[in-house]
Amino acid sequence: MTLTEALQILNKAESSGSEEIYPVLLACGFAPLHLETFLAAHMQEALPGRIVRIIGGLYGDLAGTVERELPAGIMGVAVVLEWPDLDARLGYRTLGGWGPLQEIEIVQQVRAALARLGNAIERLSQSVPIAVSLPTLPLPPTFHTRADETGKAELEIRAELANFAVRLASRQGVSVASSQWLLTQSPPDKRLDLRAELLTGHPFSVSHGDVVGSALARQLLPASPKKGLITDLDDTLWHGLVGEIGAEAIAWDLDHHAQVHGLYQQLLSALAGQGVLIGVASKNALENAEKAFERPDIRLAKDKIYPMEVNWRPKSESVGRILATWNIGAESVVFIDDNPMELAEVKAAYPEIDCLPFPKKDAEAIALFNTLRNLFGKRRLDEEDELRLASIRAAAKMPVPSEGGAQQDLFLSQAEAVLTVRFDPPASDSRVIELVNKTNQFNLNGRRYSEAEWMRCRESQNAFLLLVSYEDKFGPLGKIAVLAGRRENRSVSIHTWVMSCRAFSRRIEYGCMDLLFSHFDIDELEFDLEVTAKNSPFRACFAPFLGTEPEKRFVLPRSVFQEHCPPLFFKMSTT
Amino acid sequence: MMNEVSLREKLIRCFRVVFPRLTEAAIPSASVATVVAWDSLAAITLLHVVEEEFQIEVDMENLAELDSFEKWAAFLSTETGQA
Repeated sequence: MTLTEALQILNKAESSGSEEIYPVLLACGFAPLHLETFLAAHMQEALPGRIVRIIGGLYGDLAGTVERELPAGIMGVAVVLEWPDLDARLGYRTLGGWGPLQEIEIVQQVRAALARLGNAIERLSQSVPIAVSLPTLPLPPTFHTRADETGKAELEIRAELANFAVRLASRQGVSVASSQWLLTQSPPDKRLDLRAELLTGHPFSVSHGDVVGSALARQLLPASPKKGLITDLDDTLWHGLVGEIGAEAIAWDLDHHAQVHGLYQQLLSALAGQGVLIGVASKNALENAEKAFERPDIRLAKDKIYPMEVNWRPKSESVGRILATWNIGAESVVFIDDNPMELAEVKAAYPEIDCLPFPKKDAEAIALFNTLRNLFGKRRLDEEDELRLASIRAAAKMPVPSEGGAQQDLFLSQAEAVLTVRFDPPASDSRVIELVNKTNQFNLNGRRYSEAEWMRCRESQNAFLLLVSYEDKFGPLGKIAVLAGRRENRSVSIHTWVMSCRAFSRRIEYGCMDLLFSHFDIDELEFDLEVTAKNSPFRACFAPFLGTEPEKRFVLPRSVFQEHCPPLFFKMSTT
Repeated sequence: MMNEVSLREKLIRCFRVVFPRLTEAAIPSASVATVVAWDSLAAITLLHVVEEEFQIEVDMENLAELDSFEKWAAFLSTETGQA
């Protein structure tokens, strides 16, 4: 992004007429200048309909800025640390002395400054999300060693900084920008603008300001990770055509110059371990593919893949069946194939899918692997990530009868279902915001929240939050629903209600409403409904009560609910 | 003449981005004295935007003298060789 483009984005937002301000504190020890512009512009791109407003701290007092009480309404804090914030002698604007004696003092000063800053960031992280950028500029020639040698003092400083970063990254509300990612985006020798640093107190080149601003915006407003990956087999998951040369001859190792396929298998296995759904769409004979998966040296075990669509039909048909089995939208899925024609055919049928070619050259594979890490990366993993595949498998085998009949009553009555509802779960439970921001179909209004906005919602008067888990004899589904709202006299107003599509057809939604009526002893539920392109499953569940699917905010009286609620067979547990 | 028009149009684009509240008609007569938003921060931002637009590097030492649209236009005319 150029500075001109950044300013155009901000000017457009300012003239949009929106009154919804999204204030962010930029804490840095230098004059922020275009870093501020780029941070605002990158965040603005992720927040259409709102106006990002950057609030600065005090020049030369990074720690003080973080220690002071936050201005009202701040939604996030970007901390940009540079060497002079740790000791002014590590910058170019003071003349405190460089030399052997100063080296020892500088190490001590850096240690003390990092301890102070770490305490302040930890305290602040309890109330607002924080993104931290560690020093990105080259160290000045402070130390006595040659430029091509790292001395003890410099290593001690870097070790202190690494420990500081580990401490922060362990905190729930803090993320640390990747130095490796910054290296790929901003070459070290293009980062410092000494001319600007000396004249204006802003040390970043324009291009480096863009990269750091982008990195911080990505931390404060992380994109939702993709949910599923569909892969081809021949010349993608392995080298060679299994139908032609046999399962013994296909390869994914160094000896056969096919190591990138082994690395790809290894990466897919790791993604499966963090909850990504892995499916196969391949034009092959099923028995040939299965023989390949029987090989003991395969790095992606067959039980980590579901479903496996191996047939001679068009790939888009296989992809369609996989999407139906997973019950997720095409926009949440990545398809990988070595054949450009197959990629184009799937893209034509499902334009929302990210279709990525498996590279023909080994050297290009690393770019694909990094892209996959970016698309599927998550800050934290939770137990739901391990349950997802097992519950989809179980659902596929579960003979669920059609909705509403006596057959379904019988089936559910024998399911041994337990609904566990946790009132006001801790803010550290990242599953709550993940469900709110990823669920499309059973979703009251499709609203997405930043972590800070969600925290604000929870703080309002008479607010409540329910996190619902489900388990039956077919296995646990884990935490599958979130309800949030406010109690007002004899009524409860619900502004957020989402439920994973894995939990459909179990009457969990009715169980939740039944619980709300009885727990709060209220006469009605009010729903802040907005119609979205995908939330018809949510609206459909109210048709039996209202006679038609609702299309705007509506009220459900308790008497109407009780009259039309189907039989519920849960064992209910509240905590 | 075409070059001159082109230069001034490009410079007007720069001013429009940095000072979005200035009307198109007011830009040619804009100066530090007449534009409240033209502070030191805006001056540096304008310099970088001009650098991007004209693909040149402008020495920050010149900033103090580049305090009006007309002075910018004259400066760029010299720097870019466009009469």
